[in-house]
Amino acid sequence: MISSKNEVTQNVAEEIKPGQPLLDLVNVCRDFDKVKVIKNVNLVVKKNEFFTLVGPSGSGKTTILKMLAGMDQPTSGDIVLGSKSISTLPPDKRPTCMVFQFLALFPHMTVGQNIEFPMRVKGMRAEDCIAKAQKLLDLVHLPEDYYNKNVMKCSGGERQRVAIARALAYDSEIILFDEPLSAIDAKLRKTLQKELKDLHRRSGKTFIYITHSLEEAMFMSDRVGVLCKGELKQVGTPEEIYAHPVSRFVAEFIGDVNIFPIRVKPTGGWGSTDFPGQLFKVEPHGDDLEGYIIVRPEALKLVKEGTQVDNVIECKVLNQFSLGSRSQFQLACGKKEITLELPRSEVDLNSVGKTIKIGWNAHDAIFVTE
Amino acid sequence: MEYTKQGRRNRTLIIIWTIFVIAFIYLPVICDALSSISKGRYFMFPIKKFSLDWWSKTANSIEISSLVSNSLLIAFVVTILSTVIAFCGALAFARFSWKGKKLFQKIILLPVFFPQPVLGLALLLWFNAIGINLSWQTAVFAHLVWITPVVTLVIAIQVYGFDPTLEDAARDLGATPFQIFYRITLPLLWPGVWSGMLFAFLLSWGNFPLSLYTTGVDNTVPKWLYSKMVAGYTPMVPTLGTMSTLGAAGLMLVGALTVYMMHRRQGRA
Repeated sequence: MISSKNEVTQNVAEEIKPGQPLLDLVNVCRDFDKVKVIKNVNLVVKKNEFFTLVGPSGSGKTTILKMLAGMDQPTSGDIVLGSKSISTLPPDKRPTCMVFQFLALFPHMTVGQNIEFPMRVKGMRAEDCIAKAQKLLDLVHLPEDYYNKNVMKCSGGERQRVAIARALAYDSEIILFDEPLSAIDAKLRKTLQKELKDLHRRSGKTFIYITHSLEEAMFMSDRVGVLCKGELKQVGTPEEIYAHPVSRFVAEFIGDVNIFPIRVKPTGGWGSTDFPGQLFKVEPHGDDLEGYIIVRPEALKLVKEGTQVDNVIECKVLNQFSLGSRSQFQLACGKKEITLELPRSEVDLNSVGKTIKIGWNAHDAIFVTE
Repeated sequence: MEYTKQGRRNRTLIIIWTIFVIAFIYLPVICDALSSISKGRYFMFPIKKFSLDWWSKTANSIEISSLVSNSLLIAFVVTILSTVIAFCGALAFARFSWKGKKLFQKIILLPVFFPQPVLGLALLLWFNAIGINLSWQTAVFAHLVWITPVVTLVIAIQVYGFDPTLEDAARDLGATPFQIFYRITLPLLWPGVWSGMLFAFLLSWGNFPLSLYTTGVDNTVPKWLYSKMVAGYTPMVPTLGTMSTLGAAGLMLVGALTVYMMHRRQGRA
C-alpha cells in the first residue's frame, strides 16, 4: 500500500471486518444559501458492499458524494468512519477516492501516467509505479501496450477503465463513483456495469455509486438508497425496494406501477375514488384509514372464467406493446389509466378496443400511506 | 461546363486577391530588406549593386549593440513580470467570483484601448511629478501598463477552457497544492502562458510610443530608428529594421515550434 497522509483513516477502515458498518452518516444536513439541499440523512454503508444512491436530478446525490469525498462539508450532522469523525477532513486525508462523472483524466498524460499519478505524488519508486500500473491495466482488462497510449485517444469505455484503474492505484478503502457511465451508450454501459460488478468482487473494496438510473442501481448494487429532494426515502436490497417500496415516490421511481388512492368507507371495506362504488380487499389493514395501493403491472392478472383473485375491475384495452417475451397493455377504467404486463403466451393479439377483466390478490398489492 | 468555368474564374480571383494582400503586407518589409543589402546610401530601384557592408557595420556598431541590449533587457523584464501578473489575474478572473469583479475586469483591460502616445505622455508627467528619473526601468513600468492587460486576455482564454475538476481529481488522488500546480495546472495552461509570453516580448520589443516618452537616456531599437529617420539617416536604419523583423519572426517560429513539440509530447499533435 502507498504510504500516505490518509494512513490513519485508511488503517481505521482496514481494521473493520467485511460486512460491518464502515461509514455512518448521522443526521447529515447541507444548506446552500439557506436552502436545505440535504435533510437529516442517516445512512450506514457496510465494508466491502456495493452501495448505490439513486434519485432523480437535483435529489442531492452528488452533494452527499462530495461530502463523503471531503470536497464539501455537512452544515450539521456527522460522517463517521468506524468510530472516527471525518466530516472536516480534506480529501487527501480520507480513505476515499472518486471516479468523476466525466472521469477527469489528465489529458496531457498517457494512460500509464494517469494510472501512476497517485503513486508518483506519494513518492513511490518509478519501477514500482510502472509494475503496479501494468497490473492494474490487466485488472481492468486493458492491453499492456495501452500504457503509452494517449488517454485522449482512448474510447469512452477505455477511458472509463483507466479512471477506475487510477482510483484503484490510490488504494483507498472506499471508491466513490459519480455517475461515471451516464455519458456512455446503452450497449457499452451494460458491459461496463457487468465489469464494474466483477471488479468490485475482485478488488475487495467498498464501492459507493450514485446514479439517476434505477436499472443501473438494481443491476449492480448489494444495497440501494433512494433519495428524493435531499431526503433518504428508503434503503434496502434491490429486491426489497422493488417488492416493498415504502412510499409512492419509491414505487414510481423503481419501475412501472399502478397506484390507486384508497380509504376505509364508513360503511366498512376499502374504496377508491378511481373506482366509485367498488370495494377492495387490502392487506395489511393496520390502523391507517387512508393511503394508496400499489400494484405492479406484472402482479395484475387477466381474469377469465374460474380465475380466483381478491379484487377485479373491468377495463378497455387502449394499446398493446410488445416487450419481447412479454406484452404490455395500456388500459382505461373510467378516467384511470392502468398498465398491465403479461407473458406473450397469455396474450390475445387482437385485444385493442376490447373490454377485459383484470384483477389482483390483496397480498400482491402494497399499501403505503404517503 | 458553365460550372467548371465559374469555378476556374473564382479560383483565379482568389489567387489574385491572396497575392495582392500578401504584397500589401510584406512589400514594405521586403523593400526594407532590399535597402539593407543595397550598396548605395539611399534606396532606389533598380538596385545597382548588392552588398552586406551595412549588415556588417550594424552588427559591429557599439551604439547599436547598446540599444539592442536595452530593448532586450526591457522586453525580457516586461515578459517575466507581465506573465506572472497576468497569470495570477487570469486565474482570479476565471476561478473566483467576488463583488465588483466585472467592473474590475473592465478597468484592468481599459489601458489596451488608450492611445499609446497619450498613455506615454501621462506616465511621463506622472514620473516627473513624483520625481522619478526616466530610464529603462520606467520604460518597463510603462510597457507593463499596456502589455499586462493584453497578456491577461491571452492567458484568460486558456484558463476559461481549463476544467477545474482535474485539480479536484488530483487533490482527491493525494496531490499537494504544489504538486497540483506543477503537474496539472501549469502543464495544461502552458500553451496559453507561452503565447502570452511571446506576445509580451514582441509587443515590448517593437514598442515605440511608450518608449519615446519613458526611456530617458536609455535608447531602444524603435526609438533609435525613428530618431535616425528624422535626422541623420544611415542605411543602418533599414538594416537594423530588417534584423529586428527577422529576429521577431525567428522568435515566433521558435514559439510555434515549441507549442507544436509540447502538443506532440502530449500526443495531441
